[in-house]
Amino acid sequence: MDFLGEGFRRAWVLLSLGDSEVYGIAALTLKVAALATIISCAAGLPLGYFLATRRFWGRRAALTVVNTALAFPTVVVGLLLYGLLSRQGPLGGLGWLYTWQAIVLGDVILALPIAAALSAAAIQGVDARIRRTAETLGAGRWRTAWTVAREARFALAAVLTAAFGQCVAEIGAAMIVGGNIRGSTRTLTTAVALYTSQGDFGLALALGLVLVLLALVINVVLQVLQGRGHA
Amino acid sequence: MLELRDVRHRYAGRVVLDLPHFALPRTGMVAVVGHNGAGKSTLLRLLALLEAPTEGTVRLDGAVVPHRVPTTLRRRVTLVEQRPMLFRGSVRENLVYGLQVRGMRRTAMNGIIAETVERLGLAPLLERRRHELSEGEIQRVAVARALALRTDVLLLDEPASSADRAAAGALYRALAAERVARPFAVCIASHQLEDAYRWADDIRALADGRLSPVTPENLFRVELPPGEGLKSVRVGTIDIVVMTDRVGSAVLAVPATDMFVSREPLASSARNVFSGRVTGMAIEQRGAGVHVRADMGGVELVAAVTAQAARELALAPGSAVVFSFKATAVQVF
Repeated sequence: MDFLGEGFRRAWVLLSLGDSEVYGIAALTLKVAALATIISCAAGLPLGYFLATRRFWGRRAALTVVNTALAFPTVVVGLLLYGLLSRQGPLGGLGWLYTWQAIVLGDVILALPIAAALSAAAIQGVDARIRRTAETLGAGRWRTAWTVAREARFALAAVLTAAFGQCVAEIGAAMIVGGNIRGSTRTLTTAVALYTSQGDFGLALALGLVLVLLALVINVVLQVLQGRGHA
Repeated sequence: MLELRDVRHRYAGRVVLDLPHFALPRTGMVAVVGHNGAGKSTLLRLLALLEAPTEGTVRLDGAVVPHRVPTTLRRRVTLVEQRPMLFRGSVRENLVYGLQVRGMRRTAMNGIIAETVERLGLAPLLERRRHELSEGEIQRVAVARALALRTDVLLLDEPASSADRAAAGALYRALAAERVARPFAVCIASHQLEDAYRWADDIRALADGRLSPVTPENLFRVELPPGEGLKSVRVGTIDIVVMTDRVGSAVLAVPATDMFVSREPLASSARNVFSGRVTGMAIEQRGAGVHVRADMGGVELVAAVTAQAARELALAPGSAVVFSFKATAVQVF
């Protein structure tokens, strides 16, 4: 158990000294995760609303697909994305392989089903009368959606948290399409994996702590924002 | 001007509403009465343009309302549901919601809100939030929220179901005052027949999704025995004699106007004679008729008589009364 204590000590030193590599990796992770969360929620929340409120042919199948995608293995997504982004792949022209953009893309693919499925569940949890009432009071489609979303704000905030959690903790796809390149595509998770395999527990633990801290800060911020709204 | 034509509406294949024609006049108050499950709420949802009928059309000013209802059309009609829902936020925020979505200016909005609040006595509730309100208060706020929009058609589903009698009276008086200030169409679904008779200009009864020629007081679901002609059917504690060849499940309807009312049993050809006590009396809006409600040993019957007849018979709640009607007066659905 000595290595754990040693690891914590090392982590403390690195964090308190403001180690540039640690903070650089943390900054990239935050950028990638934030961007991927914004994109996946910007697409996933409306998709969830649509799935929850519209009755159309194939809706059940669409919900099944979205729910199945929740359990999609991240390495498989990484692999497929690798095929798409590699030089011979259909998206090879983008030149995104081994860039942080590729990691964002992977995270978006993984977080989108989470955002869609959970927001669909959140919207379905809102009393159907809210939507009808908004409509009978003359609200257009967007205003109605906004009104319903406001009622589900706690559950939707949880969707954001879950999507961010997926993006910030993702490793499979990030490793494959990002390549874990120092100073360019090394995220907290890929770095932890690398340093652990190299036996550098201190650094790995320091990065692990930053990861936990990031998640904590984001959750606290979201909770504070939620707390501002009353019933 | 708001009408349903050849409407058949189904839920899961079952016809819940079957109305060849149902129209709301441009002004005036129509009450739709009927048992739970008669189709009142469904009818209001169709009229509110919230649902499109499975078959048939909804027309506004003669023009067919398209399946995808334009917001401009929807804004001409509003509905207060039976158990209305307030949005999160204060009562005031709820009241301005519909005006805001119409892009109304703040000063105009404030004027309308002040007037509506005054009319429905909501001033003390303005800054309260929904969890601080009783069911009755929520209902009043919901009616105010709809009334403030000044729509051409106001639909109310059991607007006084959670209110006590005084609050219900206040609500109907506020509606009446609003109608004096501004002509618009009101359609109320209610099982409170007294309210319907007192406040509405026109009463329509729904039974099993169809317009019924009688108000629902004297509607009875029965099992008709086999055979033809005269049959005696058990309804609660009484036996109703009916003339029909129908067999099996049916609804019996006895028009309140086909009921003879007397203090003593009459020597007559009526096959149905029931003695009981008056439990309530309601005067129709125009004052010409009185609806006498009587308990015939556990079964409630309602008869319509003229105000003069009610006076001559000295009918009052608690007094003994006899209702008689012919077997052929009983309609079978």
